[in-house]
Amino acid sequence: MKRVKFLRLCLVLAVAVVLARLFQIQILEHESYVAKAAAEHTSLYDIVAKRGEIYMLDGDEPVPVVLNTTVWTVVVDPQVVDREAVAEAMAKIDKARWTVESVDEIFEDLSRRYLIVAKNVPRSEYLAFSEIAPAGMYAQSSNQRVYAEGDLAASTLGFVNADGVGQYGVEGALDEELAGKNGVLKTITDVNKVALSIGDDNVRIPAEDGKNIVLTIDRNIQKKVEEVLRQHMNDLGISNGSAMVYDPNSGKVKAMVSFPSYSPADYGNVEDASVYVNDVLETPYEPGSICKGFTMAAAINEGKMTPETTYVNEGSTTVDNWQIDNADVTKQLGTITMRTALQWSLNTGSVQALRLLGGSVDSITQAGKELLYDYYYNHFGLGQATGIELYENVGTVVPADSEYAYNSTYANMTFGQGLDVTMIQVAAGWSSLINGGNYYRPTVIAGYVDKNGKYTAVAEEEPVRTGTVSPETSATMRGMLHDTRWWMGDPAEYYFGGKTGTAQAIRDGAYVMDEFVSGYIGFGGASQDRPEYVIIIKMWEKGRTTSSEEEVRPVFEDLKMWMIDYMRIKPNTTGGAE
Amino acid sequence: MRKHKADYFIVLTTLALMAAGLVMMFMIGPQRANFLNSALGYEKYSENFFFSRQLISVGVSIVAFIVAAKLPIKILHKYAKWILFLALGLNALLAILAAINSPLAVCQLGGCRWIGTAGVSFQPAELLKVALVIYLADLMARRKEEGKLESFADFWWPYILVCGASLFFVVVLQKDLGTGVALVAIMLATLFISGVPLRYFAAAVGVVLAAGIMSIVISPHRMERLSTFNGAGDSDSSYHIDNALLAIGTGGLLGVGVGNSVQATGYLPESVNDSIFAMIGEAFGFLGTTILMLAFMFLLMRLLKMIPLLDTEKGIMVAGIFAWIFAQVIVNVAAMTGLVPLTGITLPLLSYGGTSMMFVAFALGSALQISSFTARRSASSEDALLTRRTFSTSRSGAPSSSHSIHAEKLRGGER
Repeated sequence: MKRVKFLRLCLVLAVAVVLARLFQIQILEHESYVAKAAAEHTSLYDIVAKRGEIYMLDGDEPVPVVLNTTVWTVVVDPQVVDREAVAEAMAKIDKARWTVESVDEIFEDLSRRYLIVAKNVPRSEYLAFSEIAPAGMYAQSSNQRVYAEGDLAASTLGFVNADGVGQYGVEGALDEELAGKNGVLKTITDVNKVALSIGDDNVRIPAEDGKNIVLTIDRNIQKKVEEVLRQHMNDLGISNGSAMVYDPNSGKVKAMVSFPSYSPADYGNVEDASVYVNDVLETPYEPGSICKGFTMAAAINEGKMTPETTYVNEGSTTVDNWQIDNADVTKQLGTITMRTALQWSLNTGSVQALRLLGGSVDSITQAGKELLYDYYYNHFGLGQATGIELYENVGTVVPADSEYAYNSTYANMTFGQGLDVTMIQVAAGWSSLINGGNYYRPTVIAGYVDKNGKYTAVAEEEPVRTGTVSPETSATMRGMLHDTRWWMGDPAEYYFGGKTGTAQAIRDGAYVMDEFVSGYIGFGGASQDRPEYVIIIKMWEKGRTTSSEEEVRPVFEDLKMWMIDYMRIKPNTTGGAE
Repeated sequence: MRKHKADYFIVLTTLALMAAGLVMMFMIGPQRANFLNSALGYEKYSENFFFSRQLISVGVSIVAFIVAAKLPIKILHKYAKWILFLALGLNALLAILAAINSPLAVCQLGGCRWIGTAGVSFQPAELLKVALVIYLADLMARRKEEGKLESFADFWWPYILVCGASLFFVVVLQKDLGTGVALVAIMLATLFISGVPLRYFAAAVGVVLAAGIMSIVISPHRMERLSTFNGAGDSDSSYHIDNALLAIGTGGLLGVGVGNSVQATGYLPESVNDSIFAMIGEAFGFLGTTILMLAFMFLLMRLLKMIPLLDTEKGIMVAGIFAWIFAQVIVNVAAMTGLVPLTGITLPLLSYGGTSMMFVAFALGSALQISSFTARRSASSEDALLTRRTFSTSRSGAPSSSHSIHAEKLRGGER
């Protein structure tokens, strides 16, 4: 039957056309479809690494002070939501977190299709909200830092900005270590972008979570120092103060304070960004008479003088026609020992020590300047980065071979003016001066807590250099610094020493008499042989004179015995004080 | 005519195709369920939903196949008119239900095509295909016998009326061009095989083409599909075709293998029903699609083969069944491979969907029964009518094989 044959022909032709087409798609164009499919099906995701937490020590136990939490940002598309539903959903969120004044404000401008209406919404409120949130209103999660101790040690901790990047302090300086490394997930997904296990091209590089860092900062010491310093500053009405408690035998920072402070969780709420700066590490200053210890130690260590070496104190002395006065030109006039000069913090004494260091009794020599610079810069590390793990400033100490190294400059440097150094440099150098001559790199890192909560302390470092002064010079210096406190009435079964330091502020290139930066550095321990802690304190206010003796040293007095008690330092009942 | 052994290749091929559909449901059903659930937001469909539903469909379809194979074909012809009335009636009922927005009219994609609920539904257009095959075979055989195939009043008038009504319901009211194509294929193939003079047939084809162009032009839904096909559309249809091609193309020679289909995870729309061919292409490659196409071709060849050996009525009926399955397979596969625009048509026996499979199975069951009435020694026969006459002279007296020219003549005479 012809018509059946025709139908058969139709069938065969149709199938042939289809098969030819299939051959074209599946065999000839296969590769291009595979490539197209890979492009359509493959998604690349970041596996977000968990930011490391920050711990302080409580004695020997690490305690977390910076943790992570998830918060939500609520977004509205005003064009698709119903006002009533929005109002109801917004009611579930604490008004303090609203970024709009009222629900009405949301609908004022309908062109804003992506309007953030609440931020930092915690989980409990998010859950209540999400149950009734209408379409067009949604919440996006993000990680947020929780500062468990509020603004404690804010200048040391720093904060994490809105982009998740650490700023200032530990958060900023150790950002890479804390942030970890995001992983990558390259995967075939279904149409809803849900990852599938199909295919063998999936790549998964797991995230490396950030390290949980344990700081050497002791939470209790930190709290105490902040409390005492704040109290004194409030009582005195002084705006700026900073302090550090330092272990002279290891370089560990036990407490570090920089006031005025801020709350890292609310870091945006500050009047002046300068509060973010950690004064102890970042603000170079002139430490004043504290440096007299360094100068005398240099001269003693070089064998050019002893504490009993005498000179004639006339209340002032002249260097290159430049008259240098003592703070009180009437005190201790006549022939006095260097020990007395340090006790009374006489500028004439330290200038005389520089002359002696240079092998002269009546003039400052190039050799003396070079030796002083060697001690200041190379031995005590003044004007050099200390190597602490946080941001620090270097400051300036004019080298002896510089064209600006006038004799008067170096004379000023003997009592801590004419140079710019940081508190951490002073504390680290001064510690080597009193601990037998060992300079330790200052550190804030005590160790790490792994993901199981196990604490591993980092090994204590050897001193970066020994012999900044000889053990004998060091012992001599401890004695001289102890003697500066002869009238303090320190308990005899403990051994303290210290030195005040006040520097005139510089305004328009000249020292002024109405603004001083005042400081104190002291140590404490059971016996003369071993100082257990060093405390350095600084106070300053723009346009105000401060007194290291009257206003700053009392902070040390309030801390010295607390530290002895807290460190459980047993009293020295055998030898007593020297 | 003595009834003899049926063509069991039809049984084997039918079962094999159903099994292939089941394999596909087992394979991609869970992904389909997962996709629909995530779109809905809750677990409406279980992992095995599509497989188990398809298993039920296959069971029902096998019953329909057996019933059609056993039910004496003359009964179908006896009630041909009534079956057609029932089918048209159900389509009319659907139209009324849709007009009054009754929940019993299930609507999707712009057309109301199902009666029932979202859970259990019935597509009257599928019944119409069977009804049309049976009715047109009966009508044409009768008119041919009477020599009235060229009579307007006796043949063309009822033919045009029935075909017009069917297409009106399906294409205009239900907006189901896919089923419309199958119906037109049935109408034209039966007409062609009935032996109507070619000029009449050509006229019919011309009318169909004109009507087809009209229906596309007046329907935005179809214009969109056509513009998609021409590469101008940026719509759901273009997305559908792109992803069908992507699935088929990714399959390559041997396919990505069971369980490795990515396109099934929501990229390809209608993955379990209209797009099942593309899914087969992805999973089993060119090898799989070729075997499938050859299986359909083999089945269709078996149908064509018996037509010259049958009496007019059975021959026309088989031609109708042939056209129905042929049209659906080719239109579906051609759409999936981007050769013709999308029409929304299922792949017979494989696509998910009970009504379609059940009626195709019923039709094939009928074809199986008819295959046992072929004149086996008629290789030289050129005309079914001639064959029939040859056999009518050697009528068997056995009541069991009473399906004879005399019985039909007698019945015809009674009218």
